[in-house]
Amino acid sequence: MNKRLLVLLVLELVAILTFSAGFFPQKSVLQGDAEFNYQPEAHRGISPKFDKMVLVVIDALRSDFVFQKDMSQFQFVHKLLNKGHAWGYTAYSNPPTVTLPRLKGITTGSTPNFLDAILNVAEDDVSSNLKEQDSWLRQFHMHQKKIKFYGDDTWLKLFPPDFFDETDGTNSFFVSDFEEVDLNVTRHLPQQLQSQDSWDVLILHYLGLDHIGHKGGAFSSFMPPKHREMDSVIEQIYNAVDENTLICVMGDHGMNDLGNHGGSSAGETSAALVFISKLLGKYEKPLAQQGKNIPLASNSPEYNYLTKVNQIDFVPTIATLFNFPIPKNSIGVLVPDFLKLLSAEDAKTKLIDNYHQLLSISGESPKEFDDSDAFFGEMRAIQSELAKTATDYNYPLLGIGLLTLLIVSLVAFFSAWTSFSSSFGLLLLLGTSLLLSFSTFGSSFVEEEHQIWWWLTIALVGSSYIKAPHELTDHLTILTLLRLIRGWNNSGQKFVYEYTLHDLLKQYYHVEWLLITATIFTVQFQGRAKGFFAFQYSFLVSVLCLVYKATWSIVNNEQVPAWLQHVCLSSYSIVNGIHKNEVNLSNALVPMARLFFQVTAAVIAVEVTRHQLKPNGQRFFEEIHGHVSTLLILQTSSANIPQFLAFHILSRKITSLWLRRKWSFPVLMTVSLVLQNLTFFQFGNTNSIATVSLTNAYNGVSENYNIYVVGALMCVSNYAPSIYWSLSCLKTLFLTSTQPKWKIFLDSRLPSFLFYCLFGCFLLGSCVILRYHLFIWSVFSPKLCYYVSWNLFMNAVVAWLFEGTIVALY
Amino acid sequence: MPPKKRVAPKKTVSFSDDENMMRARQLNSKKHQADIYGPPVYVKKSLLTVPVHLIALLYYYIKLSEDFDNVRLLYGLIPMQIAYLAAQFNRSTVYGHKILRLKLSLVPISLGAALLLTLPCMLIIVLMGAPVRMLLKETWLLAAHCCFLAFPAVYSVFNCDFKVGIFKKYYISIAIGCWVSCIVIPLDWDRDWQQWPTPLIVGAYTGAFVGYSLCPYL
Repeated sequence: MNKRLLVLLVLELVAILTFSAGFFPQKSVLQGDAEFNYQPEAHRGISPKFDKMVLVVIDALRSDFVFQKDMSQFQFVHKLLNKGHAWGYTAYSNPPTVTLPRLKGITTGSTPNFLDAILNVAEDDVSSNLKEQDSWLRQFHMHQKKIKFYGDDTWLKLFPPDFFDETDGTNSFFVSDFEEVDLNVTRHLPQQLQSQDSWDVLILHYLGLDHIGHKGGAFSSFMPPKHREMDSVIEQIYNAVDENTLICVMGDHGMNDLGNHGGSSAGETSAALVFISKLLGKYEKPLAQQGKNIPLASNSPEYNYLTKVNQIDFVPTIATLFNFPIPKNSIGVLVPDFLKLLSAEDAKTKLIDNYHQLLSISGESPKEFDDSDAFFGEMRAIQSELAKTATDYNYPLLGIGLLTLLIVSLVAFFSAWTSFSSSFGLLLLLGTSLLLSFSTFGSSFVEEEHQIWWWLTIALVGSSYIKAPHELTDHLTILTLLRLIRGWNNSGQKFVYEYTLHDLLKQYYHVEWLLITATIFTVQFQGRAKGFFAFQYSFLVSVLCLVYKATWSIVNNEQVPAWLQHVCLSSYSIVNGIHKNEVNLSNALVPMARLFFQVTAAVIAVEVTRHQLKPNGQRFFEEIHGHVSTLLILQTSSANIPQFLAFHILSRKITSLWLRRKWSFPVLMTVSLVLQNLTFFQFGNTNSIATVSLTNAYNGVSENYNIYVVGALMCVSNYAPSIYWSLSCLKTLFLTSTQPKWKIFLDSRLPSFLFYCLFGCFLLGSCVILRYHLFIWSVFSPKLCYYVSWNLFMNAVVAWLFEGTIVALY
Repeated sequence: MPPKKRVAPKKTVSFSDDENMMRARQLNSKKHQADIYGPPVYVKKSLLTVPVHLIALLYYYIKLSEDFDNVRLLYGLIPMQIAYLAAQFNRSTVYGHKILRLKLSLVPISLGAALLLTLPCMLIIVLMGAPVRMLLKETWLLAAHCCFLAFPAVYSVFNCDFKVGIFKKYYISIAIGCWVSCIVIPLDWDRDWQQWPTPLIVGAYTGAFVGYSLCPYL
């Protein structure tokens, strides 16, 4: 039985990974380079409207950052827009709205597949390379144009080095830096603008704005200065180039108000797109820009400002203006306004060429239209049809994965059936699993999964109270704590409450930091009687954690009470032996976090050794849990930290109820599962890629970072509450242990394993059945990714590996 | 947004507005208990307890009223519940081997108790997930509906000398009705009837209907 479970676990992971490999395949792309589709000779006679292009990509530049009065500080661009030297658009960027897939869209004109969103994170990946795929960069390169590139090194990952004459890549993963990433790009500008003969295409990709968004959201106080900085860059370029140069300013995607992106909300998909050239001033402004004063005072909740286009329309537009063939996989439709720049005959040639190029992808036969509007209508229709076309699924892999998982689930079910002593526990577990399983068939239930967990929590508390009506106070306390946790953050997509505890604490930061201090000390000390030595190092760890969190907040312009700022400054001046006025807090962050990690590791090592020499019984779990919780607190954003205080009390109450009511272990493990998931969502997480938080993934990481360290820290920070509950319930389980430790451990792994298996069968099934559903890429695929990460990280790494190690040392 | 609600069974005693009467009755009941220790209080298994008026009210609420007016529904509910108590429920409640007559003096008292119970009930609804700073009036209306749905049971608790245990089932059934109905709230259908607290009111009525019909058999 025991070894069988381990084999089952491995099989289950293999099954899920096989399924994922079949579900997220590469998109089929047309190979080869594009030719003119319609009357190739006619094109040769057309002269390009521009000689040179400067592309300024400002990461996460949402449309209102450029066009809306209250948000935008791009004063120079506004002037150009009003003068008609700049034409502005709101560009719809297809989800997933992360940099790598969007760059693919902007350069090749194709719609991205979901896999790209994940590969966006994997650094040394080669499969997303665009070396062989046709793009406007490739076309420029083939036409012997010289391309220079400065900025986000995602471009260098996408395109082979021989495309570029000169490059200087900056890394997009270190998000806490707002200044240097952009200065590294801008410092090349004066020289390049002086020697304009040395390039035909200049690409600049600025990351600072996106970093500010990730750190502080769309309304961050760092935003306006960044806008002005970007504005001055545009002004510098505009003043230096002549009218044969086209400047394109665009965001690769937008952001939501929290500064995250990846999903398909209006904010994330609405990027700004501005074409700037002195030549444009000679032609009539686009219709939406006429008679308007930009920045616009009106506020559009859908972020629709000026004309709405598709971001991929940029590709055929560029191809038309520079007179080269439209890249082969492009499904863009050229922006109608730019036909004004061509003579009537050339415009018609270009339009029909674009139409034929779209037909070459959709495989339809050409129709004849009289006027250009009818052409555009038909092209838009083809475009939206093509954008929907799903990728090819690898059905054999899907089948193998699903079948293996079904078999594993059946075996797990029978083991549970025979080994669970209490039928109530089994019933509870099966009820929970099946309820969640059925919910995977509704896209809104996947989006609002936290509601289901809350629903289950209420049922658990209610049924527990009905079974033990005399424990009224305990149940009321538990319910109150749970309600506080629920009110802490908004989760899901549908409901947004203004008065979350998270926001209230941010507002009343004195209370917030008092609570944080209380939480850190309570969780570390756990109310245990300590020896003198143990007291000292616990105190040291707590202070380190508190000072680090406070310093981090000070550096990131959050409000921190004066007494705490004083504590931070004093502790640094003591540690470094310098005067308080000379302390530079932002330089102290990395060493501070490293010191914390080292001290925690040392303390845990001491505890383990002590336990080996002189077994400590239950105290061992308490100690480990205390130290790990402090580590989890360090990996949690400040306003969420007091939740751990609620967890602490809640876990005490549950333990005492468990001891008095003599629940069976499947019941406790179901409670553990429910709490893991509930708290995961109430920390502000959702089933959308957009809420994966990188904020705490760089604690103690210097600029030459290691991707695996950052990945591990990211997992820990996103799953912090779940790890807490997993460990807490293990601790409770060993409180009344009479059986051998390995039997308890393995028995307790079965319930959650059964849950993951059953839930997995239904989720994979629903992904297969709903594979042509409208929301497959925005709802179901992210859910599948989360499911894989729950399995790999929470189940395999935390519940088996980490807790198994603790039990082995016990 | 999901708020579930449950009427606190034991609250009945603590929120009674007449402490003296309560103590007197408890003293009385001790005397009774000596001779009738078997099943002192129960509700007869009979079709008479089926609360048909709740179906009628639900029909009115869902089909006839166009705007899901909770206040008007409440005005309809209260007299109908009194009538139901007098004509059906009280006639089926057996206390000490006999059916007690309807005590008219107790009716306003238990109505008052039900009204007072709306506050703890509202607190519990909030604890179970209702929003705190918004939609408070709606939450209170939901609490009022639940409490007046429980009114026959509240009356019987008074009438039967606070033998709370037997009537707990009725509160629980209303609570379960509310809880189950919450499942429609997250759906993205954007219908009027998904607005807070409409689905819960429908759930409470359904739960009460099932409860009053089936609880005697449990």
